[in-house]
Amino acid sequence: MSDTSATMNFRRRDAADKLSGRTRYTIDRYLPGMLHAAVLRASVPSGRIASLDTSRAARMPGVRAIVTAADAPGMIGIGIADHPLFARDVIRYDGEPIAAIAADTLMQAHAALAAIDVDIEPLPMVLTMADALSPDAPLVHPDWRNYEVLLEGGARGGNVAWEATVVRGDVDAAFARPDVEIIDSSFRVGRQNHVAFEPRAVVAIYEDGRFHIETSTQVPWTIRNATARLLGVPASQVRVTVPPVGGGFGLKFDLAIEPFAALLARASGRPVRLVNSREEEMLTCLFRENAEIGIRSAVTRDGEIVGREAVVLMDCGAYGGEQIFLTTMTAHTLGGNYSLGAVRLVSRAVYTNTAPNGAFRACNGVYNTFALERHTDEIAARIGMDPLAFRRRNVLGDSDLGATGQAFEGDVLGPMLDRMDTMRDAAATPPERADGRLYGRATVVGAWFVFVGPSAATVNMNADGTATLVTSGVEIGSGSMMQALPQIVAGALGLNPDDVIVRAADTDAAGYDVGVGGGRTTVSLGSASLSAAQEVRTKLLKVASEMIEAAPEDLVMRSGRIEIAGAPGSGRAISEVATRAQARFGPVSGTGAFTGSGVPAMPGCVAGHFIDAIDIPVFAVHDCEVAVDEETGHVEVLNYRVVQDVGRALNPRAVHGQIQGGVVQGLGYALHEEVTIGSNGRVCQNGFETYRVPLALDVVPVEINLYEGAPSIGPLGTKGAGEVPILNVAAAVACAVANAIGKPTRELPLTPPRVLELLLDQGPTLSLPHIADAWTDNLVRPHGASGSN
Amino acid sequence: MGLSLTVNGDHLTSTADPITPLVDVLREEFYLTGAKPVCREGFCGACMVLVNGNPTPSCLVPVALAQGHDICTVEGLAANGGLNPMQAALEACDAVQCGMCFPGMVVSLTHLLATRPEATRDDIRAALTGNICRCTGYERIIEAALLALATK
Repeated sequence: MSDTSATMNFRRRDAADKLSGRTRYTIDRYLPGMLHAAVLRASVPSGRIASLDTSRAARMPGVRAIVTAADAPGMIGIGIADHPLFARDVIRYDGEPIAAIAADTLMQAHAALAAIDVDIEPLPMVLTMADALSPDAPLVHPDWRNYEVLLEGGARGGNVAWEATVVRGDVDAAFARPDVEIIDSSFRVGRQNHVAFEPRAVVAIYEDGRFHIETSTQVPWTIRNATARLLGVPASQVRVTVPPVGGGFGLKFDLAIEPFAALLARASGRPVRLVNSREEEMLTCLFRENAEIGIRSAVTRDGEIVGREAVVLMDCGAYGGEQIFLTTMTAHTLGGNYSLGAVRLVSRAVYTNTAPNGAFRACNGVYNTFALERHTDEIAARIGMDPLAFRRRNVLGDSDLGATGQAFEGDVLGPMLDRMDTMRDAAATPPERADGRLYGRATVVGAWFVFVGPSAATVNMNADGTATLVTSGVEIGSGSMMQALPQIVAGALGLNPDDVIVRAADTDAAGYDVGVGGGRTTVSLGSASLSAAQEVRTKLLKVASEMIEAAPEDLVMRSGRIEIAGAPGSGRAISEVATRAQARFGPVSGTGAFTGSGVPAMPGCVAGHFIDAIDIPVFAVHDCEVAVDEETGHVEVLNYRVVQDVGRALNPRAVHGQIQGGVVQGLGYALHEEVTIGSNGRVCQNGFETYRVPLALDVVPVEINLYEGAPSIGPLGTKGAGEVPILNVAAAVACAVANAIGKPTRELPLTPPRVLELLLDQGPTLSLPHIADAWTDNLVRPHGASGSN
Repeated sequence: MGLSLTVNGDHLTSTADPITPLVDVLREEFYLTGAKPVCREGFCGACMVLVNGNPTPSCLVPVALAQGHDICTVEGLAANGGLNPMQAALEACDAVQCGMCFPGMVVSLTHLLATRPEATRDDIRAALTGNICRCTGYERIIEAALLALATK
């Protein structure tokens, strides 16, 4: 219901201030009387706190407050509440918080940290998933049985924090067929650091008996609720507001350092600023998790995938966190691309004595897509089929079933592959290549989803003809709050998007929202905003109908006016109608709410899943060409192409910007962003010198084609477009490199030393003995059995 | 006894310890929060300022050594709250995402525009080695620099 197109390359309103240094991010907020805080972190990965004495620190100059585990009684988590704010008796990872101090200056706070007397007795540790899954492994959480369970259904046991399974059809029978080839592949990937330029940062105030937390987050309502839970106060006592956020990428999709500042603000009665140092960000960043993957398929000679099974091990670090939820995603990232006869998948989140991992743009999807697409190439090679032809034969089409038995709607991936062919064919033939390097190309597919869930919006129609949109949405840089949302509201009300004021997130002003991430902003907040705007529209048209003496259904809203359809210039300015409405009935406003519809899975298919099927699938086809230097192992990406399923692109230029940026983050992951953990349990890369993010010299302009028209429940047919661009990049690069060098790529990142090892056949063979050969032997509890192990 | 600094043409006095990094004095004493201390190691370029016209990471300059030099921060690049041609080109190209790198990016590119009017696409890419962006994948920034050079 709108008369004005919402589609345009609307310019973002925050650019000028960001370009001039005027934008005040959380790290730029300095309040009168503000104290500076610092956190004492453990320097061992596993140990028992024998004694903790803060009395000497409390007497240090400038110290105003010290808080410890005694101040934060609660536990948080996803699925299970396994995570305290401070280490209580036990240290579970290097970097775990022990105490926090607020002082007049940051230097004083750090000096006081050094005066805390803490005695830690070392305990045995498990630093790898192989160690954690060995039969006699020390348990990271010996008391795991006693934790509060927040979602029933996940199997757990020992160092397995959570296990989610999918079983559809008779996989054993499929593998036993005489007419199939069985292809077995293993993969391993490391962690990735988000390197958001604004670190986690917070300024907290305690006023009128409530906490006001100003923070750099993607999830204001999670911060509100989780802080309250940790502190043992009612959630209504916590207010969260969010200034512009200097980069998120999923890093800020979880609670971080907010409760420390909140506790210190209450204890000191002063505003408290706490900002992570870059080293803290590098060492405790809620990384994209390291993972180990085994996939096995039974495929007929003519290319039908009759059976598939997989085991995915995800390192959650010392606490379950996001990985527990992400065990759900394997069903869709391994099982939402290709038509499968019978399938069984298990994802296991595994505790280790390492820094907890978290969410990162297309979580779980990037490595599963890498593994699946490399496995797909291995299948094609085994049965002697062209890899693109194999993909075309098997990609999900209309009514095909995903792994959990969900029926997909529409032919999307097939036409997208055709479109990629057209793009590739249209490219200029490359010049003769005689530089001695090895060249390879690959085309890969990927399946992702939009993380729907609840959102709320209010639109206030102002008498001056502008509208104010109030939500809990946060501008993290993607532009959704600056572009898509005002475009949607403006489209419904016939306004210029510049006349839609967007209120920054404040949990006291707007209703609940899941957060900005998972590609959900335009879809969920957009949907709620559209509903709110439509309520305003209905009210205005009713008043206008009396003023213009025409039926509401004959009226249109466009160019700031309410007019009789087909009679431009007739009618009244929206400001006149809003003024009249305000005088007669009071100010005009509308509210909107949204949540996902909840597509069903096949009964009995899934266990331990947070969502059984996906409301909005999102597909992507990527194509890339690389050159590999045989002398050095260096990989150069020569060109890169993307066909992305966007539903409908409201702001094509903004979507292109997201794709270029997402692909480049993926190139870093594929090629040189490497995180390693030393024998002391500490992440080895503590800054920009050792963690290599892409530079301008590393990247190529991405050639982009937006695929519109696939079904979506998103407003105006939209899907999330900002998350998915990173999904297929590691897959595309790894397949292209494997094609170039004629050797299987099984690990990421493909750093020059790793590629050189492959070229020289000197690398160790990837062996994952902690993934049992028989799929069922990997489970702590048989699929379908109930109860917690 | 303070340290005398010239920042964006203003004569300012700092009471900071002489070894305090310039970026902290700019931000915490003078409330010029444009420059961002992102890596504090001179790699990322988000704290770039012009010292006597030369792009310099302000995290690596002890404030005492900035005395007697002309310091220009991102806040001082354009008159009267407007945008200089480089900033205007970045806005026109919809280059900005989270924005944290741009204060430093703009300082480096403004210098490039002034000193290397003949710069090519590859020159621009090389010139950005000291300015890292995590959001954009650089392409729009390079486009904007070419646009600014072309319209200069």
